[in-house]
Amino acid sequence: MAETLPRPPFDPELEAVLAVLAEALPPAITPEMIPVLRQGLPGAIPIDELLAEAGVERVDHVIPGYGAADIEVSVLRRIGSTGVGPGVFHTHGGGMIIGDRFTGIGQILPWIVEHGAVAVTVEYRLAPEFPDPYPIEDCYAGLVWTAENAHELGIDPERLIIAGASAGGGLAAGTALLARDRQGPALAGQVLIYPMLDDRDETVSTAQVNGVGVWDRTSNITGWSALLGDRRGTADVSIYAAPARATDLSGLPPAFIDCGSVEVFRDEDVAYATALWHAGTQAELHVWPGGFHGFDQMAPQSAIGQAMVAARDAWVARLLSQ
Amino acid sequence: MQELVGRITALDPEASETLKVITYFDALVGAGAGIDALLRAAATLSGVTAGLEHRDRIRRRDASGRQVDGDPVVTSPARDVPGGRVWLERGDIHVVADEMVVERFALAVTVTLARHEPDAALEIVIDRDRPRADRVASLARLRLDASSRVRIAALPPDHDEPGSVLLAGHAGVLRGLLLDSTREAPARGGISPWVRADLLPEGWEAATLALRLTGPAHPVVDAGELGSLLLAVGAFDPSAPPEDVTTLAGLDPRSRDVLDALVNTDSLRGASAALGMHHSTVQARHEALTRDLGYDPRSPLGRARYLTAELLLRLVAP
Repeated sequence: MAETLPRPPFDPELEAVLAVLAEALPPAITPEMIPVLRQGLPGAIPIDELLAEAGVERVDHVIPGYGAADIEVSVLRRIGSTGVGPGVFHTHGGGMIIGDRFTGIGQILPWIVEHGAVAVTVEYRLAPEFPDPYPIEDCYAGLVWTAENAHELGIDPERLIIAGASAGGGLAAGTALLARDRQGPALAGQVLIYPMLDDRDETVSTAQVNGVGVWDRTSNITGWSALLGDRRGTADVSIYAAPARATDLSGLPPAFIDCGSVEVFRDEDVAYATALWHAGTQAELHVWPGGFHGFDQMAPQSAIGQAMVAARDAWVARLLSQ
Repeated sequence: MQELVGRITALDPEASETLKVITYFDALVGAGAGIDALLRAAATLSGVTAGLEHRDRIRRRDASGRQVDGDPVVTSPARDVPGGRVWLERGDIHVVADEMVVERFALAVTVTLARHEPDAALEIVIDRDRPRADRVASLARLRLDASSRVRIAALPPDHDEPGSVLLAGHAGVLRGLLLDSTREAPARGGISPWVRADLLPEGWEAATLALRLTGPAHPVVDAGELGSLLLAVGAFDPSAPPEDVTTLAGLDPRSRDVLDALVNTDSLRGASAALGMHHSTVQARHEALTRDLGYDPRSPLGRARYLTAELLLRLVAP
């Protein structure tokens, strides 16, 4: 264990889940593990089965991404639904290096089912093959396409939100900053689920979560290094790639931010919420005690996992039902 | 990150994923999780609603961890726990994995309920994370002084020796049994050296280490007899055994018997008699084994290396 600092204990129920899952993967992800991780887990439920079970249908589109290259998006809606509903633009997680547009999709399916939302999820290109700015610019291109086609997609442009978890949370925050600065699509809200915001590796939480839990300090350095290469931690990093570097958070949509108290992203997520408040932007922040990164997905049955999802879904419900 | 490491899901109904079940429940109990967390674990692992009736109160949780109200229609398979009963709501279908789940579920509930009972004293006096004052107070409830000389035995959880208590801690769920000069050692278990009662956490650690050294050939292991060898046992990482251990593991059973006789008898002649083999055969085997091992198991240092490797191998072997 490279643990050096005292840290809050894990929630007892989550600690037990970690004990069982520890065999599947060590806390520290290093670059040579990327190809294996991209193969996904054996026995994962096929996406179309997952969608069908939730009562959601999918239509794929090829759209212009960064540099006018083709990228894919999927439009998800309640099976057979017509008419206009709120929109959710989704940027998936996976440390900037793994995953696809359906990674973590289970987090937004209830919003489609319960609020009649139409979701667009974008297949942004992954680092290290496609370093910054490919991922963030692909995401922004997806958002622009969504807004321009809102009418055809059945999205109420007044109720379009952006949502993402982990690296997807960082991309969501960065995309919202781009939309503000380029006078792009108006967003009604940003759901930043344990977002990855800061490349500088300087917080107390990153030092505390070193060799333990999920997506530890080493993993985080692996992700950021893939995205930024030698620029990681230097002055040559944009606020869109690493939103923690933004000094002006005014003029942004209301934010929902959640994280666990035992994860690398804790301090940068709390700081981002604080910076939003300082700038006069509305934000709701939840730090779940004893939570490791992504615990709502890895331990959905746990008391604290259920509480996290309930708080997040309640925020979205208040926003989308307005 | 669920895509990275998955999540706890229902077990394969036809396979007995023993280790996963034991690890999960032991970790829950070790971390001090509550009864509802245990219900959620049983439900998640089995994929059906799990329930507990304790002192006329029923609590149920479904496989997604949510509370279920009302009375259950089926309550099998089930196990008794002190003051009540736990169950999985499977019904008449027999599912292999259920037995292990309900067994460990019952065990975990028993330990957790016992924590709130007055006789949790033994669990407190062996807990190294408790302040000494707490431990001494609990010793008094066991009618012991801090300076009393005691031994403690660690038994497998299913070995229900009279007077033993289920305990959860760093070593998982085990039974503990305090031994004094009037109480005979159990038939199976690890036994601590004599320790001052206020040093029982150390005694318990030694007893649990000794328990790991037990097996069919050594049903009882007395840590007091191992002396400083116990330090080697405690420091040993079974996932990275040293060469002496892997070499020993590679020998066939007959060679192991010969080796055992060579080390534990005074002479080659004695070893030949114990094995019922000709003297010259044993001598040839001795020479061959010395080559295989890389040391002479009859030399003083060789005996020490063999005995240490043999102890450590018990921690590796299933």
